[in-house]
Amino acid sequence: MKTIKQINEKIKNGDAVIVTAEEMISIVEEEGAEKASETVDVVTTGTFGAMCSSGVFLNFGHSDPPIKMMKTYLNGVEAYSGLAAVDAYLGATQANSDDDIGIDYGGAHVIEDLVAGKEVELEAEGYTTDCYPRKRVSTIITIDDLNQAMLFNPRNCYQSYNSATNSRDEKLYTYMGKLLPEFGNLNYSGAGQLNPMQNDFNTTTKTYNTLGVGTKIFAGGAQGYIAGEGTQHSPAGGFGTLAIQGNLKEMDTKYIRGATIPKYGSTLFMGIGIPIPVLNSEIAQTCAIRDEDIKVPILDYGIQRRDKPTLGVTNYKDLRTGKISMELDISGEKVDKCIRTTSVSSYKTSREIAGELKDWIINKEFFLSDRVAGLNTCAPKPMKADAKLVRDIIKRPPIVAKETISVSEASKILIEKNINHLPIVDENNCIMGIITSWDIAKAMAQSKTTISDIMTKYVVWASPDEPIEMVAKKMSANNISGLPIVDNNKKVLGVISAEDISKLIGHYI
Amino acid sequence: MKKRIFYWISGRNVKKPIVSDIIKTYDVDVTILKAKMEPSEGFLTLELNGNEDNVLNSVEYLKEYGEVEDISQPIQKKEEKCIDCGACIVHCPVGAIKFEEDFSVTFDIDECIGCKTCAKICPTKAIVVYDL
Ligand code: SF4
Ligand code: SF4
Repeated sequence: MKTIKQINEKIKNGDAVIVTAEEMISIVEEEGAEKASETVDVVTTGTFGAMCSSGVFLNFGHSDPPIKMMKTYLNGVEAYSGLAAVDAYLGATQANSDDDIGIDYGGAHVIEDLVAGKEVELEAEGYTTDCYPRKRVSTIITIDDLNQAMLFNPRNCYQSYNSATNSRDEKLYTYMGKLLPEFGNLNYSGAGQLNPMQNDFNTTTKTYNTLGVGTKIFAGGAQGYIAGEGTQHSPAGGFGTLAIQGNLKEMDTKYIRGATIPKYGSTLFMGIGIPIPVLNSEIAQTCAIRDEDIKVPILDYGIQRRDKPTLGVTNYKDLRTGKISMELDISGEKVDKCIRTTSVSSYKTSREIAGELKDWIINKEFFLSDRVAGLNTCAPKPMKADAKLVRDIIKRPPIVAKETISVSEASKILIEKNINHLPIVDENNCIMGIITSWDIAKAMAQSKTTISDIMTKYVVWASPDEPIEMVAKKMSANNISGLPIVDNNKKVLGVISAEDISKLIGHYI
Repeated sequence: MKKRIFYWISGRNVKKPIVSDIIKTYDVDVTILKAKMEPSEGFLTLELNGNEDNVLNSVEYLKEYGEVEDISQPIQKKEEKCIDCGACIVHCPVGAIKFEEDFSVTFDIDECIGCKTCAKICPTKAIVVYDL
């Protein structure tokens, strides 16, 4: 048994043994946890990935005459200033107020530019009071002009994260990056065996051995602190998160980087490292966790619901080889598929962070702190909001027609049933195409008489399990006003129209 | 010898079997890396493989019907911007990007066909595209 105080003494005397979490693996393998806990004093960890829930509190100092800032923009990106007069919080994922720039230069990029010492344009508007008579301010600042630039991330440093693939036949742009159709790739994030929380996690008690409120950490290249558990903290499932703070003025653009995930948004790549004091053999053992020990669920992001189906489980060791093979259920058939894997966080930089933190301690620039409290245990609750699914608004029985009917018969059906979309089906009621009233009008003008000549054969359809928000998105993306609803066997169950949706959610379309 | 080229062909000649001609006449292997045909012109990205004389002769032949441009260095990775995440790797159609032993991400520029997919995917905009 050692104490943090003793370890700090050793650091001061230059006697402490500091290793990275990667180095610890082989030490414990060779010497055993008991011996390793005697020889090693501190294990350093690191992670570097996209941490959307990042941001900075900025204090601009008072203007003359003073202003109470209400709308505040930094290089065109809005910072929330519903705080005291000249304070604002700039979030990493805030898009540029200029639509043409949008997510290409968002909050995260402003944060990086501030850290880089670049000039940033500040524009603010206020409402006037007797103490704050100024209405507008427009000036150029750098980070040195700010009184405080306090990074505060309410949720980052995830202990584990899911990997993402896509079962759909179209590509998806998600916060996990671009997902190619039909399981074309599997994207993962996280430092695995170098992950700070993973190395400190006690799997028996589902709590953290040493980290907690007040633990001093490496935050973006500076020394920061853990402020508490992060939002959506879920240690029971191994999905703990941290809220952290640090002084942006001391950070380094190497470890704090503005980025844009294509068609998703801007985000901050953030480096975090946590030193773990090896107080006993149990902690030594935990710090020896290896990539292959860390399970990574494989989720299908093709199902755009809160609870995405888990297709299997892999681990960081396999993910890092660049491909994994897994058994997939494709249209009711079991298929073995080899999926290429891609990381969306940086293992190389995670290593550098663990290494730099190690150097700081060796050079007596960084001492460990005792936590003042552990992290609360909690389990995140979902939002109370009902999902409306396509199946909830299906009209039965479906109105469909065979390919053999004539154009005038088809037009009669549209008029009599007062509908605009008529799915054309085969003898099993499976979708072959679709006819709209516009197709009929066109057929008349062009004197076409057979259905197969005029029907749309590449049909975009909806499944009964889809949320109507998704259907609305599909309609606007394809510029169409109605979709057939089909089951897994392509059997037509009905039609959903833009009108049905707008009746339901008025403002959605 | 392996040679990669951009090939522009005018509308007059789009119906001529030029590519199959060079395969037959000069005994070169041709991989069509990219092709876009429009009513009045066509654009191809080709990889020619064969003995040096044959490859050069086939290029001369292609020039009779359109314009040939060598693919030199279509893109460049800015080292200071790249964070070695690896997000670009699976999106490269020719496998020109890979993780090294130490998890740094490197590009094999000789393999690159300049499709720009990596540039579009890169979260830090670390890839500069030289438009040809
Ligand atoms: S441009 Fe990028 S993605 Fe395309 S071939 Fe070159 S390296 Fe690969
Ligand atoms: S996606 Fe961009 S930042 Fe990531 S490895 Fe590729 S070039 Fe580097």
